[in-house]
Amino acid sequence: MSAFARDGESYSLDITIDEAHILINLVEQLLELLGEGDFNHRYDEGDPLAQLIAQLKAAPEEVTVPEDPVLLRLLPSAYADPEAASDFRRYTEPTLRGKKKRSLLEVRGAVAILADAGRGGTIADLDAEIWLLAMNDLRLALSVRLEVHPESFEIFESLPESDPQKAIYAVYFWLGWLQESLLGLLTGG
Amino acid sequence: MTTDTMIESELDISQLIDKPWITIVWDDPVNLMSYVTFVFIKLFSFSPERAHALMMQVHNEGRAAVSAGSREEMERDVQRLHEYGLWATLQRDEKI
Repeated sequence: MSAFARDGESYSLDITIDEAHILINLVEQLLELLGEGDFNHRYDEGDPLAQLIAQLKAAPEEVTVPEDPVLLRLLPSAYADPEAASDFRRYTEPTLRGKKKRSLLEVRGAVAILADAGRGGTIADLDAEIWLLAMNDLRLALSVRLEVHPESFEIFESLPESDPQKAIYAVYFWLGWLQESLLGLLTGG
Repeated sequence: MTTDTMIESELDISQLIDKPWITIVWDDPVNLMSYVTFVFIKLFSFSPERAHALMMQVHNEGRAAVSAGSREEMERDVQRLHEYGLWATLQRDEKI
């Protein structure tokens, strides 16, 4: 079982190769949904050219309310009034989308090193807050697909092993457990 | 009578200028309680006690007003809450 660890201000994560593959698959699916389709070039946050390209990609011609419920949960409307919500979205959504993509790309980059090497191991000196945000967005995305509600854990437990949804629930609750463990370290609990 | 009315309208205007907008955070069954508390402390510099109380209000009542101020300030707060994955909206403070 994987777990986060903290040594002073340095955070790390021990992860198995199976967990690395699960994380990468999830992250890439969400990145594609957010409009980040190019994984051929590993993202380098420090590279000004890569930043410029990312900004260009993140600026669609027209910003509208997302039809996909996952996107609507990750990029919610700020106003109940549709017109005010639309105006706000036009100015802010590309930035919000870009920040979410950067967190996911950071996690993907770190996990990909292990996945490419074909073994589990330690991800050292990770940015705890970036990971916290990325894991939260992954959980939000899964929760929309699973239609999570307060009694979902009981449903998960009652599902037979043969049910394909059982594995998705398992990943959802695993991510929640991981996120909780990281929060405990961040808040010194 | 005229004077009273004027004073009342002046008070209304001063309140409108002061804190006419609020940021609301809505309950959802996904965000961890510890995470919501963490985000409140991080974004609003609340004490752990205040952050926890607000989180409980969101959880129990379905929503809580977490900040008040100008429309621009509330738009910034909502944007930051969305970055953290919390479900937030802004609106005029109906109490005015």
